[in-house]
Amino acid sequence: MSMSRRILVAAFGIIAGAQFAHADSPSVTAVLNSSEASLGETVRLEIRITGVRGADAPEQIMVDGLEIRRTGTSQRIEMNNLNLTSSVVYDYTVLPLRAGRFTIPPQTIRVGNNSLRSPALTLNVADSSGRSSGARSGRDTQAAGANNLVFAELIVPSKTAYVGEIVPVQIRMGFDPRVRPRLIEPPEITGQGFTAQKLQQSAENTETISGRIYEVVTYKTAIAAARAGKFEIGPVKAKAQVVVPRRQSAPRTRPRSPFDLLDQDDPFSDPFFSNPFSQLGERREVEIKSEPVALEVKPLPPNAPPSFSGAIGNFTMTTEAKPKTVQVGDPITVTNTISGRGNFDRVNAPVIEDERGWHKYPPSSKFKQDDEVGLSGTKAFETVLSPNEKKQGLPLLAFSYFDPVKEQYVTLHSEPIPINVEGGAAVASSAGGAPPGSATPATAARATSPAPTANKPQDILYQLTELPTKAESFAPIYTRNVFWVAQVFPLLALIGLAGWKIRRARIDNREAQRVAALQHEATDLMHKLHRNDVSPREYYAEASRVVRVKAALASGNRRIDPNMVDVETAAETFKLNSDSRDRLRRLFEQSDEWQYSGAHNGPGRVSAENRREVLELIENLR
Amino acid sequence: MNFFAVIPSEVEESRGATRGQFHGVRRLRFASLGMTGNRTLTILFSLALGIATVAYAQSDPDFTKANQEYAQGHFKEAISGYEALVRAGQWSANLFYDLGNAYFRTGDFGHAILNYERALALERHHPEATANLQIARDEARALELQQSWPERYLQFASVNQYSIAAAIGFWLAIFAVVVLIFARRRSATVITALIFCLLVCAVSIYAVYTLERGGKGDALAIVTGKDVQARLATADTANSVLALPPGSEVKILSTRGDWIYAALPNTLRGWIPAKDAQQVRL
Repeated sequence: MSMSRRILVAAFGIIAGAQFAHADSPSVTAVLNSSEASLGETVRLEIRITGVRGADAPEQIMVDGLEIRRTGTSQRIEMNNLNLTSSVVYDYTVLPLRAGRFTIPPQTIRVGNNSLRSPALTLNVADSSGRSSGARSGRDTQAAGANNLVFAELIVPSKTAYVGEIVPVQIRMGFDPRVRPRLIEPPEITGQGFTAQKLQQSAENTETISGRIYEVVTYKTAIAAARAGKFEIGPVKAKAQVVVPRRQSAPRTRPRSPFDLLDQDDPFSDPFFSNPFSQLGERREVEIKSEPVALEVKPLPPNAPPSFSGAIGNFTMTTEAKPKTVQVGDPITVTNTISGRGNFDRVNAPVIEDERGWHKYPPSSKFKQDDEVGLSGTKAFETVLSPNEKKQGLPLLAFSYFDPVKEQYVTLHSEPIPINVEGGAAVASSAGGAPPGSATPATAARATSPAPTANKPQDILYQLTELPTKAESFAPIYTRNVFWVAQVFPLLALIGLAGWKIRRARIDNREAQRVAALQHEATDLMHKLHRNDVSPREYYAEASRVVRVKAALASGNRRIDPNMVDVETAAETFKLNSDSRDRLRRLFEQSDEWQYSGAHNGPGRVSAENRREVLELIENLR
Repeated sequence: MNFFAVIPSEVEESRGATRGQFHGVRRLRFASLGMTGNRTLTILFSLALGIATVAYAQSDPDFTKANQEYAQGHFKEAISGYEALVRAGQWSANLFYDLGNAYFRTGDFGHAILNYERALALERHHPEATANLQIARDEARALELQQSWPERYLQFASVNQYSIAAAIGFWLAIFAVVVLIFARRRSATVITALIFCLLVCAVSIYAVYTLERGGKGDALAIVTGKDVQARLATADTANSVLALPPGSEVKILSTRGDWIYAALPNTLRGWIPAKDAQQVRL
């Protein structure tokens, strides 16, 4: 650390110590939260000793007709403009035992070697009907005892406010954990002349107050006064069920302290609390009630600016716009973000100071709160503006609010935002124009529609006087019968094609079978012709048959029947020369001779030379 | 006018045979008795065509009268005439276009835009309806539904054209399959054609689905009421989602009683009174 920084820290410490020492001049104050009370109603007494960190205050204050007991001690250290102030607060609960006017005498508070005296206080206690100032019924006693085991506290930090100003309010409800409380009616702030927001439970913790342990639930809300005047906020009322020991059957003979539920000095000395299961408890419904708080509500000053919509608090505003380059008639989304602390329900969108040449759509808004009750946060407004003519910048936007600290109206203006509006003259606005209430947020789809331009016709086109001869239908074609009926034609064509293909396949199959049979026959006959044990008649018959079969096979698509093949047909099919043709003719003649002339006069066997000649002829037929 | 061109001559023929004592169908029956089969068929066809022509011809005077009312500035009477034709089912793009013009003249931009949209639903390329629709939208500051990018790209053809393309692609693919089954050798050309046809069929079916289910599909409706608010729930006191100027487009998602649940131009959804919006397709 540098020397200069050390000097700075030391100086700060000296100043702070001096300030603290300077603040250490003790003083004492004593206040009652109410100077009026009815019988059976408790009053809170607060004795505050400022400028000390510890003091000696009495545990009990003796006043005839009042029972005053210390119920809590707290210490506070506050820093204000580098002034450290320490104070000790002693809380007392005052229970009137009878009606009348009582004076709480000055109390001596010992602070070190010094003594301080609190001021005297006066309390008026009114009698309440149906109750005696002396002994109370057992039920009342139980209730009072139960009430003592629970408490409610209404905390309003400000004593003055303006009409409509949001005032944060805190409600603390404490329960002795041993009574096993169950809240059956949530706390409610009673009173008139103000509106309260929904209660939000913000914390739950355990505190020790006057040596007792309480489970304290804290609720937060905010109120806003509807009119000027002096109001009483509260009391806060709630109902809870608690478990208390069963009443003793013996009648009471003496008035009893509310802190002495069980005829003993301390209600918690009852064996029930030490062991709840050793003795049955009784669930009792109790009403919890806080003290009311006074609030003075002042009216707002006159001469509010035109853009004031009732916003009270402290706000800042930012403005954005996009797109920056548009055509005449195109939408521009302007986003105003108002942040701060105040009554956001009365924060409306900033107003346009000069709307000429602009078409404005109602804005949409979105609020994001930063705390539990919506006292601080950010409210964003999206407004769609549409230029009706050429413009060079967005119009100025104004937002006004009332600052309760400065006690004056404040008007915020948007920064000038340059934009470029292209296009020609203004778009003519018809008599109908845009209807009121027509709105679009920034996300609305105008993009699909071409921007109106200067040369856009301002009037609709002419009437058409021709009607088609046939009515048209909105139904898509695939839902109409004609579409599906039309599918019959390709279906029929498909069936025809398939049938034709199948038939062709079958025909091809038959031809193949025929060719195979002929080839098989030709092969068999050739085998026989190579044998020697065949008579000439059979030999020449089979030889001529082979020639016919070969000719039929060679005919191809002409599909010549083998039985119909003669010499000329075969010679033509094989394109034989004259020599081969003669030899083929002789073969057929010999076959016929052997076939039709009965027993042949020649040799009984075909000579080898003839066989070779025939085979040579047949094998050359290709 | 075939009915009047053909039938009288036949009537004259039959009139000669029957001395003109018969009337209507009986005349035709007599006329056909002495004719060849071809001539009878011709007459029957002409009769059917003639009846159809007469049926549509009957609407012409009404249409002409409505046009005359419009020309004279009697727009409400013109609307009544056009609406009567619409109720009679004589739907055509020109009729809805003229009806839209009449509504425009009365300042009812919601109905004007609705009828222009109907004209375009019947005839996609109706230049007059397209132009006037744009003018009406600008006047009403109507909001349009955002279209998805497939919708925008597929809009170069209509649903009917895609339907026909899908059918043609399907059948050609089937034919190609049959050819391939019976062919001795698999032809690469046929296989390529088969794949192409299947692609055409699939793309066309997808286009039909996308366009029909999209913002401009069969669920498209137009806000015709004034000061219409789309709300979060089916109650007039429910929070507003969006203020809808007349002529704004919404897409009907479901209907519950007197309310319709619709997709809004700002991609949100909300409930609209059913009486304040009308579907484009009848």
